[in-house]
Amino acid sequence: MNTRIISFLLMVVCCCMIQSCDKDLPTQLTLDAYIFTALDEKGGTWKPVLLSTVEQVAIPEPESVNSVAYQAELAQLKSITAQLDAQQKAAIQYWGNNGLIRWNEIARELTSKYNLTPAPNPDGSYTLPDPANPSKYPNFPFSHPPYASRALAYWSAAQFDALVATWHYKFKYRRATPKQVDATILTYLPEQQLPSYPSDAAAVASVSQTILTAMFPLEKDFIAEKAAEHRLAMQWAGVNVESDIIAGDLLGRGVAAIFLNRASKDGMKAAQTPKPISDSLTLAAKARFGWFWENLEKPQRPVGITPFFGKVQPWCIPNVATVRPLPPPAPGSPAFEKDAAELRDIANNLTPEQRKIANFWSDGLGSYTPPGHWNRLASDFVVEYQLNPLRTARVFAYLNMAIMDAGISCWDAKYFYHYPRPSQAIPGFKTILGIPNFPSYTSGHSTFSAAAAAVLSHLFPEKQVQCEAWAKEASLSRIYAGIHYRFDTEVGLEQGKLVGSYTVGVAKNDGAE
Amino acid sequence: MVVSCFVYPSLAQTPTDATLMAKGELCVALSYSSENWEKYWEGTLQRDNGNIGTFTRQTVMPMLALGVTKKITAIAALPWMQTKASAGQLRGAEGLQDWGVWIKGEAIQHSFAASTLKVQAVAGIAGPASNYLPDYAPFNLGLGCLDGSFRGIVQYEHQRWYARAQMGYHVRGNSTIERNYYYTTTGYYTDQVAIPNAITYGYSVGAWVLPQSLRAELTYDGLTSLDGHDIRRQDIGFPSNKMIFTRVGASLQYQIPKYTSFGVLASGSYILNGRNVGQSSAFSFGILYRFGLFGNHNSNSITN
Repeated sequence: MNTRIISFLLMVVCCCMIQSCDKDLPTQLTLDAYIFTALDEKGGTWKPVLLSTVEQVAIPEPESVNSVAYQAELAQLKSITAQLDAQQKAAIQYWGNNGLIRWNEIARELTSKYNLTPAPNPDGSYTLPDPANPSKYPNFPFSHPPYASRALAYWSAAQFDALVATWHYKFKYRRATPKQVDATILTYLPEQQLPSYPSDAAAVASVSQTILTAMFPLEKDFIAEKAAEHRLAMQWAGVNVESDIIAGDLLGRGVAAIFLNRASKDGMKAAQTPKPISDSLTLAAKARFGWFWENLEKPQRPVGITPFFGKVQPWCIPNVATVRPLPPPAPGSPAFEKDAAELRDIANNLTPEQRKIANFWSDGLGSYTPPGHWNRLASDFVVEYQLNPLRTARVFAYLNMAIMDAGISCWDAKYFYHYPRPSQAIPGFKTILGIPNFPSYTSGHSTFSAAAAAVLSHLFPEKQVQCEAWAKEASLSRIYAGIHYRFDTEVGLEQGKLVGSYTVGVAKNDGAE
Repeated sequence: MVVSCFVYPSLAQTPTDATLMAKGELCVALSYSSENWEKYWEGTLQRDNGNIGTFTRQTVMPMLALGVTKKITAIAALPWMQTKASAGQLRGAEGLQDWGVWIKGEAIQHSFAASTLKVQAVAGIAGPASNYLPDYAPFNLGLGCLDGSFRGIVQYEHQRWYARAQMGYHVRGNSTIERNYYYTTTGYYTDQVAIPNAITYGYSVGAWVLPQSLRAELTYDGLTSLDGHDIRRQDIGFPSNKMIFTRVGASLQYQIPKYTSFGVLASGSYILNGRNVGQSSAFSFGILYRFGLFGNHNSNSITN
């Protein structure tokens, strides 16, 4: 009997060792607040992306720290910081002193959540998301890679301008931090020597709220809750008094509005063309090159993803013609057959390592897309180098402007050359990942990644080898998956690198280096 | 598109029936099964998918059952599978799925006049036998996790009739995928996926149509994941989905009277209702061979 009990207990112990626990798995980056490696006191003189002057969005001159109004705010802050509950402390820990990292994470999460393609209707037709009625299925947006690249570009470029302006005002007014005014005040984040008016965190929260709400309208309440918490957390942490927050919010909303104004006129509204226009692109390619791409899904999707994304207004490249690659080899040509044979060979002999690379970089439906993937990598660099919010915004801004320009350039090539996917051009060819709904040449993964690697290599020179290796691997991943020919990826890498060089050119001249 | 999970075939000498081997007796079984579906449940929405067409899974499974003692039988299985779809551009998969070992023990065997009541307990563990990718719905061979199970089996026999109820609790571990971020109901920054625990259960009635030779059985069984999430509209299935199904099945087992060492089996099943699973129809065939490995094995394990 004893042995039975012992064996039973042993089995229970075994099962407890097996037991998975969803709650133990990380749903966000682990992040500790840090001391910024540099404060960039001259940051207010850097060249913004869209603002005509750093004072284009005006904020009131702050009250002196000796004023009755400020002293009242300070007293309020003292009482707030003296009685924090666990939830407030958790919020301070979550946001830290560089909330851009969290907002980038939130933007990536929303991208994943909305990165679902519309289901077919019972009659075989498809309905597209309607920005005027976002909650009607299929929900708006479908955050495919071009959409994601654009959302992230507006989010981060607006952050950069808002923080350049914030830095300008901080060093113009040089309002002391609450701790500098009253050493007895409790603070819960590392003490930085940055003037506190306006609050950079509030500017970041309000830019994020305004831009992300425009990009993901159904998340309005969720985003508002996050932004409110972010702003409040700076008071709970004893970092900002209320007037710092109010000014940061005002500045953030003002700058974001300028970017949304650009977004409303950048051509994205026309990017998802109706079928007749899409068909005319197919016919043009057929007439010009003798080939064309078609969607092979059943029922067939009548229009690919954003045929006119190539006509959207870029940030740093002069125009798409300047960076458009040469034509791909014609199907059936020796150059084509060589790369088609490689695909067949890989498909028949896929190694575990190749499969892993294909999946690691898949970034397909339901994911944060390749633009999101590179934001995650950049975010890790920001933490590693302990950048201040302004430097962080600069990284994200150039990264995402380059990625969006890469997308614009890549989409121009995709719909100009209208090249068939391997699954269309090679009889019986099958893949290990879903085939995206747009033409093959050039590879989006390769173009996005090379542009991202070019910018990150410039901003983090020590990471150049790593970034270029990642870009190369991301591009190879598409060959391993059977999604792209080698010439799609190699030309895509060159194209992305060229696009990225324009962004780097802008970065070199913004006064930050 | 749904992911596939481990489902026991309806054959004899399995962790879900009440058969025990005689001491020292070894049963070697080999089965082939084929399941296919056109419709699946995306959450609770039943649908088809033009990019899958008909999904087919074929399984070849060797199984061993050994009578360790009169009251304890050890079972092992190692299925090989192939999955494919009739439409769409995705390649299928093939390879070994999950090894499994189980220990089945008799807790109670009580006979009244013409009836017998049996109560048995089964403990088992199963886990991936190859590097198949669990994150490849619907072609994934399995869930890619360790699965520890405890099962209770109660069987009541009256003359040539019997009725059985069984229920098992499956404790599941993490599955490893090849991405380090995925989104379910929130984003996860890891390549680990927590697979929900589950209950599997079944109710069977059967009879020896020809004594000691031909047995027929009807089964209603199912699986209920105790946690997990639904597949979102037009999303791809994932190993942590909340999988549920109920199924009906029938099986026949025939022992050749003159060569009682040999048996053949055939079964079929159909999923009645489900959630985040395919609505499979399945059939299987198997052959089994029993022989004495050690000890005195003149008892006849095939009778109940």
